[in-house]
Amino acid sequence: MSTGLNRTKWEPYLWLLPSTLLVSVFVLFPILIVFKLSFSEISQAGVVGKFIGFDNYVEALKLPAFKTVMMNTLWWVLSVVILSTVLGFIIALVLNQKFRGRKIAHAILVFPWATSLVIQASVWNYIIKYEYGNLNNVLLNLGIIKQAINFRSSYQVEFIWECWVGIFVTVPFVTFCVLSGLQSIDVSLYEAATMDGAGFWHKLRHITLPLVKPSLTVSTVLNIIYVFNSFPIVYTMTKGAPAHKTDTMITYLYMLSFYERKKGPATALSVIGFLILCLCAGIYMVTVMRKEDQQ
Amino acid sequence: MKRYPEIKKQNLRMFVFLVLGLVLSLILMSLPLYSFDVGVYTKKSANTFVGDEKYAAAKAEAEAVAEEYRAQGLDVEVSEDVLERVNSKGKTTSLVTFTVSQRNSKNFWSFLGKDLPSSTALVCILGLMAFSLIFTVSGLAGSFDLMHRYLDQRSKIFRSLTIAILLIAILLIPVFILMNNFTFSRQLSLYNSNLVTEGKELFYARMDRFLFDGQMGESIGDVLSGLDIQHSNLIWLLIPTLFISLLAAFSLRKGEIQSSLLRLCLYVFVIVVCVVTLYPYYVMLITAFRTNAESLDMYFLHMFPTKWIWSNLTDIINRGVPRFLLNSLFVAGGATLLAMLCGIPAAYALARMNFKGKKIFLGYVIMSQMFSPVVLLIGISQLMTTLHLNNTLWGLMLINAAFNQAFAIWLLRGTFVSISSEMEQAALIDGCGTVGALTKVLIPMAAPGIVTALIFVFINAWNEYTVATILISTAQNRPITVGITQFSSFNMIEWQYMFAASLLATIPVVVLFMTIERHLTAGLTSGGVKG
Repeated sequence: MSTGLNRTKWEPYLWLLPSTLLVSVFVLFPILIVFKLSFSEISQAGVVGKFIGFDNYVEALKLPAFKTVMMNTLWWVLSVVILSTVLGFIIALVLNQKFRGRKIAHAILVFPWATSLVIQASVWNYIIKYEYGNLNNVLLNLGIIKQAINFRSSYQVEFIWECWVGIFVTVPFVTFCVLSGLQSIDVSLYEAATMDGAGFWHKLRHITLPLVKPSLTVSTVLNIIYVFNSFPIVYTMTKGAPAHKTDTMITYLYMLSFYERKKGPATALSVIGFLILCLCAGIYMVTVMRKEDQQ
Repeated sequence: MKRYPEIKKQNLRMFVFLVLGLVLSLILMSLPLYSFDVGVYTKKSANTFVGDEKYAAAKAEAEAVAEEYRAQGLDVEVSEDVLERVNSKGKTTSLVTFTVSQRNSKNFWSFLGKDLPSSTALVCILGLMAFSLIFTVSGLAGSFDLMHRYLDQRSKIFRSLTIAILLIAILLIPVFILMNNFTFSRQLSLYNSNLVTEGKELFYARMDRFLFDGQMGESIGDVLSGLDIQHSNLIWLLIPTLFISLLAAFSLRKGEIQSSLLRLCLYVFVIVVCVVTLYPYYVMLITAFRTNAESLDMYFLHMFPTKWIWSNLTDIINRGVPRFLLNSLFVAGGATLLAMLCGIPAAYALARMNFKGKKIFLGYVIMSQMFSPVVLLIGISQLMTTLHLNNTLWGLMLINAAFNQAFAIWLLRGTFVSISSEMEQAALIDGCGTVGALTKVLIPMAAPGIVTALIFVFINAWNEYTVATILISTAQNRPITVGITQFSSFNMIEWQYMFAASLLATIPVVVLFMTIERHLTAGLTSGGVKG
C-alpha cells in the first residue's frame, strides 16, 4: 500500500489535519458541550449555571411524556426499518431481473431518495387531509368509496401514516444497497444450482441471502441510525400533537429545548439519545471492521 | 423448418383464451352499469297511518298504476315514503307518499354515439379490442405450429403489438370510469345547482340523449335535478377479463405459460411500485398549478387542474423563493467545496499511506456520521453563538460540510483504493511531489468517483432542514427547505405556493441524483471497506 518513497513521519497527519479540524470543531465540540450542559443548571433563558450532577437526568426521566415518547421511538424505528428492509429487498430482487423499462423503474425509484424529507412529508400531509386531501379525491373519482374517509381520525392513525412516510422514503436506499450486492453475485452460481435442480426458494436461501447479507447488514444498521435521527417527517406532519403522543425522541428533544424552554432535561435526553446511537454505531463499526478483515 | 404439433396445440389453446377474454368483456359490457329511477306516478295520501284503510286504498291505487306500466313491458317499482310529524295541537299527523318509478339502466353500448367525453374512451377501448384480435390472427397466420425462435419478424411484431394494444385498453378502463364518475356526480351537480351555467344547455341535451334517447326535451332540467344515478362496480371486472386476453397474448409471444405468467406478475409489481412512488410527485405537480380554491376544494373531482395556473410560479418569485434557492445553492455549494477540500487529502492519506492511528481516524470520522445534528442541536446552537455564526449562511455551510465529511471520505477512499498507484509512483519518480501526483494524476483518474461524492454531499446539504430551522432566524437567510414552510401558517396553508416552490427545489436534485445513482450504490456498500 505504501508508495515506498521517503516520507516524513508526520506527513500523513498533515493530510488528515483539515478534515480532523472540521469534524472536531463542528461535531466533537457540540458533543462535549451537550455533555457539559447535561450536568449543569440551565435557566429558562439558557444561561448556564453550576454543576448539579444527575439532576437533569432525573428530571428528564420524570417528564410525563417520557415513556410514551420512548415507546413511540421504539415502534418508529422497528416498524420503519423492518418493513422497509423487507420491502426494499423484494423490490431489489424484482428489479434485478432483466425486463424492458428496467432503467426507467430504477430512475423512478431514485425520486424519494433524492427529495428533501420536509417536502415529502408536506406532500403526504396534503394527500391524507380529510377535507380536501388528494387520496380521498382519487378514491372518490374512481368510485371505490362513496364518501370521504377521515384518514387521520386519531393520533394512532396519524402515527401509522408517519411510519408509512418513513417507509416510503427509506425503501429506495435499501433497494439500491441490495441491488449493488445482487449485481456482484456471479451468475454461474445460479446456473450451477439450476443444473442441480434447485428451486427458487432454495436458491434464494442458499445463494442470494448469504451473498447479499453484508450489504443488507450495512443498510440495516445505517437505516436504524437514520430513522432514529429522522426529524422532519414527524415534525411536519403532527408536530408531536396531541401532547407529545406522536413524538419520537428526536422531535421531543427539539420541542423541549426550543418550544418549552426546558433545556436541562433536553440536554439530558440528548445524551441518552447519543448513547443509544453510540451503541448502534459500535455494532456498525464491528460489522464493517469484520467485513474488512474478511476481504 | 420443422413444424411441431404440440406447439400448434398450445397456440390454439392460447388463442381460445384470448378470444374468451374478449368475449367475456363484451358480455360484461352488455350488463347494466348505470341505473336510475324516474318517477312516473305519485299518489299522496294525507292523514294516513301505515296499516289503516286509507293506506291500503292508496297502496292498491299505486299498485294498479304500476301494473298498467308493467303490462306495457316497462320495469317499474312502487316505493313508499312516510312523513310523520306532531302539529301545534300536539296531534300526530302523517303523510304517506307512494311513488311508482320506472327503473332505467344503461350499459356500455348506450354510450356509443352519445357525444359524452367517455364515449370516446369507450370507442377507443372497443377499437383496441378489435385490433388486438386482428393482430393476433395476423401474427399467428402461417406460424401457428412454429417454435417461437423460428418466428419471422412480421409475426413477432404483430404478437408484440397485440400485447401493447391490450395493455392500453386495460389502462383506458379506469379513464373511462373516471370520466363517467366525473360527469354523473360533479358536472351534473354543478349544473343542477346553477353554480356553473356555461355550456349547460349542451350538457343537458347530451344527458337527455344518453339517458332518455332525447325524449325529455324541455323538461330535462327538472328530471336531471331529481336524478340519482347509481353505478355498479361490475365495471371493474373488465380489467381481469381483458387481463386474461393479455396473458394469452403474452404466452403467444413468449411460448411458455408459466414463464409468461411470472413475467406479467413482474410487470404488474413494477408498475404498482412505480405508480405508488410517483403518486406524491403527481400530487405535488398538479397542486402546484392549481388555484388556492381548487387545492382546498373538498369535492374537487378532477385528476388535473381545470386551468393550469402558471402565475403561481411568478407569485412565489415575488415571495422570496429565488432568494431561498440562492441561499440553498450558496450553502450546499460551499459545503460541498469545503467537504471536498478537507476530504480529498484525508481520503488520499487513508488510501495511499501507512501510519499509526489510521483505524482510529477512520473510526472517528465514521462515528461522526452516526449523529444527526438533531441530537446535538443544543450544542450546535451554543457553539454558533460563541463563534458569532448564528443566523448566517456561513455557519450552516460549515455544519453541513462537517456532517458530510464522513460520507465524502468514505466514498473518496473507496474510489482511490480501486485505482492502481503505479501512475502516481511514476509521477513521484519524475519529481512531481505528493501534491502534484494527487492533483495531476489521481484526481483526473478518480473523477467519476469524485463527482459522485460531490453530488451526494451537495444533495444532502441542499435537503438539510433541521439545523437550518434552528440557526436561521431571519427570512432572507432561509434556505429553500425552510423557505417552503413559510407558506403554511396556523390559519391558512397556501398549498399551491408550497408545492410550486417544492417542485423548483426537487427537480434539479432528482436529476443530479439520477446521474450518480449507479456509482453511489456501489460506493455505499463496498467502497468504504475495501482495504
